[in-house]
Parts: sequence; C-alpha cells; structure tokens
Amino acid sequence: MTEPLPLAAEPECERHCGPAGSDRRHFLFAAGATLVGLTIPGLGVAQAKVAAYPRKKVGLLSKLKKGEAVEFRYPWDHANCNTVLLKLGQEAAGGVGPDKDVVAFNGLCPHMGWDIPAKKFFAVPGIAGPCPGHWTTFDLTRYGMVVSGHATQGLPQVLLELDGDDIFATGVLGLIFGFHDNKAEPKE
Amino acid sequence: MELPIYERKDRVPLPPKDARVQTTACAYCAVGCGYKVYTWPVGTEGGPTAKENAFGADFPTGFEGVWVSPNQYTVVLVGGKPHHCVVVPDSDATVVNPGGNHSIRGGTLALKCYTPTGPTKDRLQFPQVRVGGKLVRVSWDTAIDVMAAVSKHVLAKYGEAAWGMKTYSYEFFENTYAITKLAFDSIKTPAFAVHDKPSMSNDTAGVDDAGIVTFSAAYEDFKAASVLFISGTDPYESKTVVFTEWMMRSKAKMIFVVPRRTMGVAYAESKGGLFLQIIPGTDALLHMALSRVILEKGWEDKAFIEAWVANAWEIDSGFGRGSRNTPWQWRTTWGDIGAVDFAGYKKWLLAYEPASLDFAARETGIPKEKIIEAAKLLSGGGAGERARATFLFEKGNYWSNNYLNTASMASLALLCGSGNRPGRMVSRLGGHQRGWIGAAPYPREKSPERLPGRRKVELDLDRWVEKGEVRFLWVIGTTWTGAMTASQELARTVRKLTVESKHQPASAKQDDLIDALVKRVDAGGMVLVDSDIYPVNPLNTELADIVLPAAAWGEHDGARCNGERRLRLYAKFYDAPGEAKPDWWAVAKLAKAMGFTGYDWADDNAVFEEAARFSRGDMLDYYPLVWKAKKEGKKGHEALRDMGTTGIQCPVRYEDGKLVGTARLHDSTLKLSDPEGPTTHAKWLTAFNTHSGKALLIKSPWELFADFYARIKPDSKKGEFWLTCGRINETWQSGFDDLRKPYMAARWPGNFVEIHPDDAKAYKVESGDVVRLTNDDVLIQTGGFNRVEAEEIKFSWLEKEGHIRIGKGQIEAIAMVTPAVPPGVLFTYFLFPPNPFNALAHRVADPITNNYRYKLAKAKMARVGESPYKKDRRFMSFQRRDFVG
Repeated sequence: MTEPLPLAAEPECERHCGPAGSDRRHFLFAAGATLVGLTIPGLGVAQAKVAAYPRKKVGLLSKLKKGEAVEFRYPWDHANCNTVLLKLGQEAAGGVGPDKDVVAFNGLCPHMGWDIPAKKFFAVPGIAGPCPGHWTTFDLTRYGMVVSGHATQGLPQVLLELDGDDIFATGVLGLIFGFHDNKAEPKE
Repeated sequence: MELPIYERKDRVPLPPKDARVQTTACAYCAVGCGYKVYTWPVGTEGGPTAKENAFGADFPTGFEGVWVSPNQYTVVLVGGKPHHCVVVPDSDATVVNPGGNHSIRGGTLALKCYTPTGPTKDRLQFPQVRVGGKLVRVSWDTAIDVMAAVSKHVLAKYGEAAWGMKTYSYEFFENTYAITKLAFDSIKTPAFAVHDKPSMSNDTAGVDDAGIVTFSAAYEDFKAASVLFISGTDPYESKTVVFTEWMMRSKAKMIFVVPRRTMGVAYAESKGGLFLQIIPGTDALLHMALSRVILEKGWEDKAFIEAWVANAWEIDSGFGRGSRNTPWQWRTTWGDIGAVDFAGYKKWLLAYEPASLDFAARETGIPKEKIIEAAKLLSGGGAGERARATFLFEKGNYWSNNYLNTASMASLALLCGSGNRPGRMVSRLGGHQRGWIGAAPYPREKSPERLPGRRKVELDLDRWVEKGEVRFLWVIGTTWTGAMTASQELARTVRKLTVESKHQPASAKQDDLIDALVKRVDAGGMVLVDSDIYPVNPLNTELADIVLPAAAWGEHDGARCNGERRLRLYAKFYDAPGEAKPDWWAVAKLAKAMGFTGYDWADDNAVFEEAARFSRGDMLDYYPLVWKAKKEGKKGHEALRDMGTTGIQCPVRYEDGKLVGTARLHDSTLKLSDPEGPTTHAKWLTAFNTHSGKALLIKSPWELFADFYARIKPDSKKGEFWLTCGRINETWQSGFDDLRKPYMAARWPGNFVEIHPDDAKAYKVESGDVVRLTNDDVLIQTGGFNRVEAEEIKFSWLEKEGHIRIGKGQIEAIAMVTPAVPPGVLFTYFLFPPNPFNALAHRVADPITNNYRYKLAKAKMARVGESPYKKDRRFMSFQRRDFVG
C-alpha cells in the first residue's frame, strides 16, 4: 500500500503557479519546496523530516537582459550550489516573469560533477552544455532534462518567485550533485 | 502500458557502513561498465559523514566524487524482506569505466529492478497458458509437461526442422549453454535463430573471411590509435563509455561514416576529424574508392602487406581439402567474390568502374575531396610515419549490404596495415555483450536451405515459419516479430498459425491443452511458447500459447564478456519475482521431461563450470579459470566473483601458476611460450584466423547488390524517403526497462523520427507532431530454399521466379525536425514498441550470408496531428542533439 506523499500547500506558489490542485503544480512540487521525507514505494515512509528551503533574493527582473547570466549560490554557500539564472527570451517550464522565460539551474552536471560554466548556458536555443566533461547537454525550457548525454538526472532547476521586481530563489527540483539531501546544510 | 510520471527527488538514502556490497557489470550495452550494488534492510540509513556510510565519504562530495543520484536508488526484496538498494558505477574501477564513468542507461540500473508497487510491478511471475484468448496461470510442471508432450509429437512425426527456437545470443553463458545443449546437442534442430537475424549466419562474414575475428580489439587500442574509422555507428550514442573514456581521451582523429550528424560526429569535427555523410546502402563503394585512392597513390602499407597478406599459394593452402561445402569456403572461392593476392586485388580494383572516385562520389553523396582526405588520414598519405588506423564498425555498416560492406572494409583496413597490433585493429564495437557459449555446433548438415551449387546454408527461420514448416517454436528473451523485418507481416502469419487456428484448448487442464495443441500441429498450425520478463505486445500478450516467467539481471548469478572479451560475474543481489526462473532452469526442466540426460544442474555455478569445457579453444575461453578454481577447491563463480569488476579478458591463459588475460587477438606483438596446463594457443592469438595465418583480400563486386538496391531506392517524385534506423543514447533495445523508468520515459515517451527542415516544411510538420510512415512496397522473399545455378543468388532471379511478394507496413512516430539528417532521409529508432521501424523494412536477406538488410527501408510520410509532448514540457526534448554551442 502506497502511503501518499503529503503535499504542503505552498502559499508563494499560488501566486505564479495557478490554482491549487493543477497537474503542473503537483508535478513541480511532488518533492516539494516543503519536503516531507521520502516515500519508499509501497513500504512506508522512511523518515519524516520537515524542513524548508531558504528564501533568497537573487536579482531584479528589470535588470535582466536576454542571454546574460546572473550567478549566485543556492541553497547554500557551497561550490556545488553554483547557480546560473538566465532570461531565455522564450517560454520555459518553471519560467517566471511576464514572458515566463526567466529560469535558474544548478551549474554542476549530475553525471560526474563537472562545472558547466555560465557561458555555456545558451538562451538560444535554450540549452546548457555541452558539459566539458563528457559533452552532455540539457534543455533549459523543459526542466533541464538531458537532451543528449549521460546524466542520471536532469540539471537541477532552482525554483524562482517574483515579488514585484524582486526575484527570489525558493527551492530546488532535483538533487544537487555531491549532496545526499539538498536541505542538509554543509558543515563548512 | 501507462507511462509512469517522473517526480524529482531532492534526497536519497545513503548505504550504512554495514550495507552488503556486491559487484556486477551492466545489463545493457556491449561496453559492460563495472557497477557496485549496495543493499541494506529498510528501517536504517547511512549518514553523510565518512564513518557513517559505506562509501567512507563526507557528503557533499566534490568533483567526480562518489554520489548517489535519486535514479540510482530503489527498494527490492531480499529473502522476502524489503531492502534499500543503490546501484552505482564502480568508482574504484581501473578498466572499462575508470573512476566510475557511466552512461545514462547503466547509470539508472537500479530502476530496472523488480519492486512490487513501482512501474516494474508487471513482471511476469507465473507460467501461463492461453485459454479462450486469455492467459491463465498454471504450474511450472503443467507448462513444461505440455511443452514436452507437444515437442515429442512434433519431433516424431515432423522431424527436427519442425521444432524451433528463437533466442537471445547474449543473456549469460549459463543460459545460452543450456539452450544450445537442448537445441543443437539433444534435438539437433536447424530451425534456430538468434535475436537479431533470421538464421544462425555470421553477422560480419566479410570481415571474418578476411581472417579477422570481430571482437579482436581492446578498448585501450582506441586510445592508442591516431585515426579511428567509425562506420555505421556513433559510439557516443550506443557504446557511450567507450567514447567518453577511450576515444575522447585519445588524440585520435575520427572519421565517421554515418547518414546523420550526431553528437559524436559534432565532437569529431570539432577536433579535426571528418564526417563522411553517406547515402544509405553505399558503404562498399566508399570503401573501394578509398582503397583505390590509396593504391593509386602508393599509400598502402607495403611492409605489412608483404608480411601479413596471403599470397596466391597461401590462399589455396587448406582450401583444397574436402568438398568446399561450408559457407566460408564457398564464399572465398566461388564466382565473383573470393580472395585474391595483393597483385590480383590491385589489378581488379584499379580497373573496376564502381570503385572509381566519380562513381563512388555520385552514389555515396560524399564529395571526392573528402574521400581523398580520408584516404590520406587513414594511410598517413605517404608521409614518413604511417597513421595508426583502427577500423570500427557496427550495424549501419553490416545490416545493410551485409557481405560486400564488411568484405570491402576489411580489405581497406588491410591495405592500411591494420588488424594485428596495438592501436591498429579492426573490430566490431558491439551492440549487446558477448554472452554465448555453444554446447554444440549448429547442425548445418540438417538445414533444408542451400546456396547455388547445393552448398548448405543456415536456415532462414522467419521464411521457414512463413512457409508453415515450423510446428513448435520456443522464443526466449526476444520480441521476435518487432525485431525482424516486415514485422507486421510476420506477426500476421504467426497469428494465423496460432490464435486463428480452430484448435484452441478448452481449459487449462493438462489433457485439454495437449489434445488441442497436438490437433493444431497436425492441422498445419504452430504451438508458440515465449519466455520473457515482461508482457510483450503482440508476442505474448496476444499470440503465445504458453508464457514462462524468466529471472533477470541481478536475480541469478550469471557470467559473460563485454566488447573487449572481459569476463565478470554479474551477482545475484535480490529476489526474482514470483516463480520466475533463469532460462537455463526452464530449458533443463523441459529437457528432462523429454527424456534427455545431462541436465541435472543444481545451481547457476554448475552450468558455468560445465560450459567452461565447451569454451576451450574459442574467443571466450575461460576454461583455465574454472580448472584453477577447482584445483583450489573453489567454485568457478566464486573465483570469478573475487575478480570483481576487473574480471579477466578472454581467452584466459594459465602461465606460471597465474591466470593471464588476453588484451587483443591477432596480436603480432604478443610473445607466447609453450601452452601450460589447460591453456590453448589458437593460431589467431598472434596471427590472422586463416589456414596460413595471413589475411585475405576479398573482392566485393557491386553487381551482386546493385539490382536489389535499384529496386529499393526511394523515388522522391512519388514522395518516398529513405527510412533508416538506429539506436539512441537514452533508450535500450525495445525500451522494456526505459518505459518503466520514469526518468527515461519522460525523455523518450514515444518513437521519434528525424526529418530535415526542408522536408518538414513541405509536409507542414513541426517538432512534436505525429507523423504516419507507410511502406506499401515491403519486399518479402518466400521460398527460394534451394538454389542451384549461379544467377539464383541475385534478387532479379527471385523476382522472376515469383519468390517475392509485396507486403505493407505502417508506424507512427513523433517528428523531430533537425538538419542532422539530410533531405530525403528519415531516421527513426529501430525497436520502439508498438511502432517498430522493422515493419517497413524489406525481408530479402543478403543472398551470400542470409542476413537482413535492416537499414534500407523506404517510407511515405503524412502528418497526423500533434502529440501531447509538443506542448507538455515534462516530456521529450526537441532540441538538436548535436548542439555544441
């Protein structure tokens, strides 16, 4: 018997995500900005751990130019948390802004942890890569899924919210390379 | 089957310090990367500091550090109890995938495992029989006893050729040994074929006839080469770690001969390599043109040719024996094909019009300057230092103009001095791993099929089934109809012989089953048995009378080799579902029920040890390993388990009290002393695989293929396209695992077809639209089992004699508009259910080798509508796959 994974209502989400219960929201937040443990299929919840991603202001919408990367670290000040924010100039999954084209992704290739430098995040056509390690590419308009390559997870997408002109990072979709738990703050 | 929805996780459990760790190798492609499996009971977890987890690592780890992706984790049953399970590439590996490199396929192995409530829950668990059109559960005893009774009846009344098997060639030594023991030793049937061809032919006869064994290279040879000729494949896509580890790290320039631009091609071009974008079916012309340029300019490796290419006397040596009745003797001595010495080959080629630059450039679509540039790269262009050229090929080359493509490529390689030393090898790259040990040879003398001159050839099983000659067929681990050409036509025939027979069992009682099935056999129908791990449409969902559940990778101890002949133990680490059993067990049970002896194996290891004797003297000889293990009081499997992911390259030799692996075959630099103990020194360890030990130059006359080629070429005025196929990086085979891995199903939820923007525009097709591909002109050979005169080898003779009927095929696929394919050529995945490309491929085998020309289908295209994935961004990216920024 599968125990359902509790989905916490996410107030900030409703502002840009639409009404609660829509398929898109369920998909985006299946692992939740507010996570509740890990469901083992059919065999009970291993651990219930309630923790929140930090909410961090990362930029201003009005200052963004198409194709110009904004870099920051999220959720922690750790090298693996290098994040690239980009205005793509085309609508993208998880995109914020009036054109739904502002997205952010973690910069470490989930294949073997190579850095994908910001200059390899291309607004046109909306691809990150090829990763200098083994040439994997990622689709920045489709949740960072692998276009062609070896990563066993898409490029983790950093979830964004707008509050007026302020852009906030509010969560991460997918496990960051090197981490076992995105919400476990590294010691140093 | 419903597509599972992919949900991203941001956490993964870590194995605790006392987690059980076992080694294995990948279930998928030929490369065979090494993996570690961690299992521990549900209820505990490891922690992120080094002393808390089995990796001994502090999390978060760094660059190329050990890491567990959420798609490398699952829950399995071990001894009936739920266990966490993590499958990760072996970061301690020093061979194949050093440092834990991996592909997306092997990287997600954990998701393959059976778990009772996940997407893999529809694993076959119990034997079933078809009653009233539905599959009903029965016991193993009932299923096997019915099979035995029907089999005995078929053999007694109709003979061995009426009892057939269609099985994989690669799914572990233990299984293939048992299968061949039953089929070739006990029953001796000629009605047998493996998964990727209609007969037990030689895939790459043209290369083998030259004296080259097709898995002769070691992966390190790819690194040592200065130029790589890569024909009919992109290893980035389908032999990924060979590319990312052994080719990308090499300084070699790559020459790609493929019809479309993929990431490997883009990489090669960025590093000064060449893309020879070839019109499908014309490789032999390219090879001959390259050889001719090299000969005209005097760029051939004269020292090598002098030392290693057979002269006229050496060609005949050994051929004078016996009746010249084997296929290879026939091919190498008969008619327009056949081996000649260097002077003879040069004379023939330089006068041969189709080998001229003009002819070749026109037919292949490759500009003359590029052909000359490639010839220069491969040979060194007469400069002081010769190029170290390694020639690598796969199915774009040989599932096309099968014999002539491989023979002409082998000749080219020999002229460049390749085949017998480090960095200068000729090798297949592989599709599957090498998992075949034959308990007995194929009984060709029993085959009812003959080449001109009445020389026996391995029987074409599909054509034999279509003729109604097969009364009992046991399919093991292959989708069969979808994997063979003219798939829908074949499935139609099988349906008529099985479910459309009026003789159907009234109940699942043993007597009713035997009664009905024997009546069906006597009425000219067929009894079909299928062993598999999943429901397969239509083979066992609709057609098979008896369906048996098989144990898969990780559910039994198995052994096999990878593409560089590296033998590893693939450990059992969790429970098979329900009553699923390894195929060797089912074979043994049937054999015993039929009264055969020699099938009393207690476990996987018993089969492994027995099979060792039958590997002696062959490419995959591991007999010394078992011999040494037994001397030390150990089981064969345990000795192999101790070798972890490193294993040992076959043939295994015993020297100075130690087991030694063999890096490459035909190795002229290998110094051997006298063979010790159980060691066998075959000639081809240090020389070529011919009587003289020297290689043969085989002629490749285009006329033997030209009439078929002219008939199948698409007519663009009629809206016909070349439709060709291949693999794609993120899918393995029929997607039987990938469509059950939510992460992978999101990437490729349906079959795709690559269409050039000019063609897409003409048909008003955009990426994400569904298109229908049809071929109303699928050529299907019927009959023609006895060929007598020389002209009967030609396609035009088959047509004239009424041995070609026309069938139809139709599939749907999701459009990907990309300039990676040229105008006039469409590319699709080869085996995506329920739309197998093969439905549109002609069933006319290469008359010299009886292999299908899979790659040369033809299609008309029509737009159907939009697929859901055009707008649903959770699925399927339509970005260019050869994007390099």
